[in-house]
Amino acid sequence: MPKEIFMPKLSSTMEVGTLLQWFKEEGDSVEIGEPLFEIMTDKINIEVEAYDDGIFLKKYYEADDQIPVNAVIGYIGEANEQVPSEPPAQSDEDSPGSSESSSSGADSSSPAEAPKTPNEKVRATPAARKTAKDHHVAIHEVSGTGPKGRVQKRDVEAAVHSSEKEQRVSPLAEKVAAREGINLANVAGSGAHGKIMKSDVTAAAVQTAESSPVKTQKLAGMRKVIADRMSQSAFTAPHVTLTSEIDMTKAKEIRKQLLPAIEKETGYRLSFTEIMIHAVSNVLTRHPHINMTFEQNELHFHDDVHIGLAVAVKDGLMVPVISHANQKGLKQLTKEAKEIGRNARDQKLLPDQLKGSTFTISNLGMYAIDTFTPIINQPEVAILGVGRIQEKPVVVDGEIQVRPMMGVSLSFDHRVVDGAPAAAFLTDLKKVLEQPFELLM
Amino acid sequence: MTKTYDLTVIGGGPGGYTAALQAAERGRKVALIEEDFLGGTCLNRGCIPSKTLLKHAEVIESIEKAKSWGIETGDLVLSFDKMRKRKDDVIEKLRGGIAFLLKQGKIDVYNGRGTAVTKHRIEIEKQDGAESIETKELIIATGSSPAIPPIPGLKDIQFDTSDTIFDIPDIPASVVIIGGGVIGLELACIFQSLQSKVTIIEAAPSIIPQEDEEASKLLERELKKKGIHIAKKTTVTEVTESEGVKAVHASDDKGETHIFTAERLLVCVGRRPSVSAVSQLDLQLDGPFIKVNDKMQTSVEGVYAVGDVAGGYQLAHAAMAEAAVAVSHICGGTEKMSADIMPRCIYTLPEVASVGLTEKEAKAKGLNVRAERFDLAASGKALAAGEQTGFIKLVYDTAYGEVIGATMVGPHVTEMISEASSFMYLEGTAEEMAKMIHPHPTISEGFYEAALDIVSKLRK
Repeated sequence: MPKEIFMPKLSSTMEVGTLLQWFKEEGDSVEIGEPLFEIMTDKINIEVEAYDDGIFLKKYYEADDQIPVNAVIGYIGEANEQVPSEPPAQSDEDSPGSSESSSSGADSSSPAEAPKTPNEKVRATPAARKTAKDHHVAIHEVSGTGPKGRVQKRDVEAAVHSSEKEQRVSPLAEKVAAREGINLANVAGSGAHGKIMKSDVTAAAVQTAESSPVKTQKLAGMRKVIADRMSQSAFTAPHVTLTSEIDMTKAKEIRKQLLPAIEKETGYRLSFTEIMIHAVSNVLTRHPHINMTFEQNELHFHDDVHIGLAVAVKDGLMVPVISHANQKGLKQLTKEAKEIGRNARDQKLLPDQLKGSTFTISNLGMYAIDTFTPIINQPEVAILGVGRIQEKPVVVDGEIQVRPMMGVSLSFDHRVVDGAPAAAFLTDLKKVLEQPFELLM
Repeated sequence: MTKTYDLTVIGGGPGGYTAALQAAERGRKVALIEEDFLGGTCLNRGCIPSKTLLKHAEVIESIEKAKSWGIETGDLVLSFDKMRKRKDDVIEKLRGGIAFLLKQGKIDVYNGRGTAVTKHRIEIEKQDGAESIETKELIIATGSSPAIPPIPGLKDIQFDTSDTIFDIPDIPASVVIIGGGVIGLELACIFQSLQSKVTIIEAAPSIIPQEDEEASKLLERELKKKGIHIAKKTTVTEVTESEGVKAVHASDDKGETHIFTAERLLVCVGRRPSVSAVSQLDLQLDGPFIKVNDKMQTSVEGVYAVGDVAGGYQLAHAAMAEAAVAVSHICGGTEKMSADIMPRCIYTLPEVASVGLTEKEAKAKGLNVRAERFDLAASGKALAAGEQTGFIKLVYDTAYGEVIGATMVGPHVTEMISEASSFMYLEGTAEEMAKMIHPHPTISEGFYEAALDIVSKLRK
């Protein structure tokens, strides 16, 4: 019997995975442990290995398709075994990976209007399904006019008709467009009734060439995840950003003193990032109303501090997590921060290393940035943006002195955090960094 | 009181009457001025009379050919009077048609010689006196007349041009035609079939040199087979006449002199534009022609020129297309004249028709083209009709199988060229041509056969 290949669920928040590529084609033989396909999930690319030996019989999706977790995306079996021509409807119980989903409850119910996905059960007549199949129409994209929105044959036919009618194009223009890689949807036709002629396509090709270096790239993979998550956060959480300046004189001294010792033991150089992680973790344990997550209308308070560290990677951004940061010393933090940073850039992070953070730090201090307004990494409720350290004249004990000052910005979700507790947290953080020996307490 | 028009068209040929009709159809108040007969050169002294007589030639040829098929008619008796009468009837009928359409379009037709005094005021000299009209816009469609070369002795003798040849009283025993262009060749076919002895003198190294080389060679061979004498690379040096016999003195490229004698001398060396009607407007010229842009605008705003007077292809359908562009522009349209898909028809026996570029022209333009030729000798219909001389040749680009041009020689090819034009205009490629169902048996199947070969070559 053929074995299903599922879209794995790799984190509690993962709802869909984007198929990046198949490593096997239908008909290839597959061994257990061989990479079968690559997906992009919450901020990570993962190669998924085959769980079964056999022949790769069927793939239901292509690159860039977004597929709900636990959906059947293909089959492995013996040669010539029969598999359904369409992906079977999803059942929630017996699919692998569902253990994780049951533990978090994140999947339980999202009342928001969910667009129909390919695997959702669509009400449709058999004739409609057959017509859709014959014309390669995705039935879940057809709006039904039958009882209770059931898709009727005529609905599918109308969809086929409208897609055919959309564009009139001369055979020659079509060929030129295919060869030149011109998307006809962006070409206006100059022929009778807007028919696209060769001259329209060549004009579009010239335009494309002239307007270079503008390249068109479909939002996909990590970029799509970032785009979705950023807008999700920015448009659901009312962000308030508090800024402050911290005198880093003492912190600098600590770094200077500890750096050689830590470098000797770990091979890594202590940086202000780790000092920030250490200080933030320490202060967060005293501010449970900041060290929390907000999901499904529930606030989750965390005893431990798991710091997400925003890391710039090629073409994007990842937030690997240093768990239990409040229990770790600067040596351990330095080692971990450097390693996850490198792994993030090399795309070698494990899924576990990308989840469970309770607070995120985004450090742009290596650039000429004083302060900025970071966007909260949901389901967290606050994020700290770290700016550069700059020598500035400041008044100390009634005298002007030059001190290394660092700008910090705390964005918080005003739905669940108010200004005063956020300000208290930032003030505490400032105190700790300015009197870092407190950390030893 | 002076009459005022939205548009005045000077010249009632295909360009002129098309412009007048289309402008009237769009609600413009239009005047059309024609000093001679409606229909211009095409109807009165060109396309139509020649095609009427060429039909006679075709029938005569068929009768000759039928003898060997077992159909004998006895001696052929030709009545030139009746033939001319039929030609006049055809012309009369078509003139009546144009007059009817103009009347229906409520177009004022002035029978007289129009001269533009300014771009808004036109003087008309009529038989019953002069009249002046005012106009907002002006289309010049004054056409052309046969060019008369400066050959010594020519002005001292009687000779014919296409203006006079259709109304000669008798079939001449012999004709010498100076000029191996389209007009000369068609007239040669007419007189040859009427059993005149025909000689063509052409200065160039080939006849119809602008057309496909194979077509030119095949036509030359066929004309010679009929008994038409063609003297190429031969320049006329002098013409004389004694006792009604014309003598054309010429020298060939080897310097040898020849004397061709004939009852009639026909001069067909091209046509000169008639620009006198607008000489006072100071329009910019392009050689002898009125200079126009792709909207048919002259150098003076509000003045357009279409047809032979504006140069380009001197063809009736070119004039009509130009008229449509000019009227469109007058009415606020944005159409532009493009002569890329201009069919060209030569009604000789066999006919030659072409559209687009020849293989040579395309290659000279740097296009990546090849040509595929289908010979009518392999066409069942052509064999059945006993007209297997000819071919269908498609020039196509090697990237997409786009039809770049077509040349055809054979029976009815002037009717069939529009299939090639259609594919070009609607941008079908050889692939669609090879899939489109063609009726069998027909000569037009040749397109399909050539296209099949193209598709199979493109696959390789």
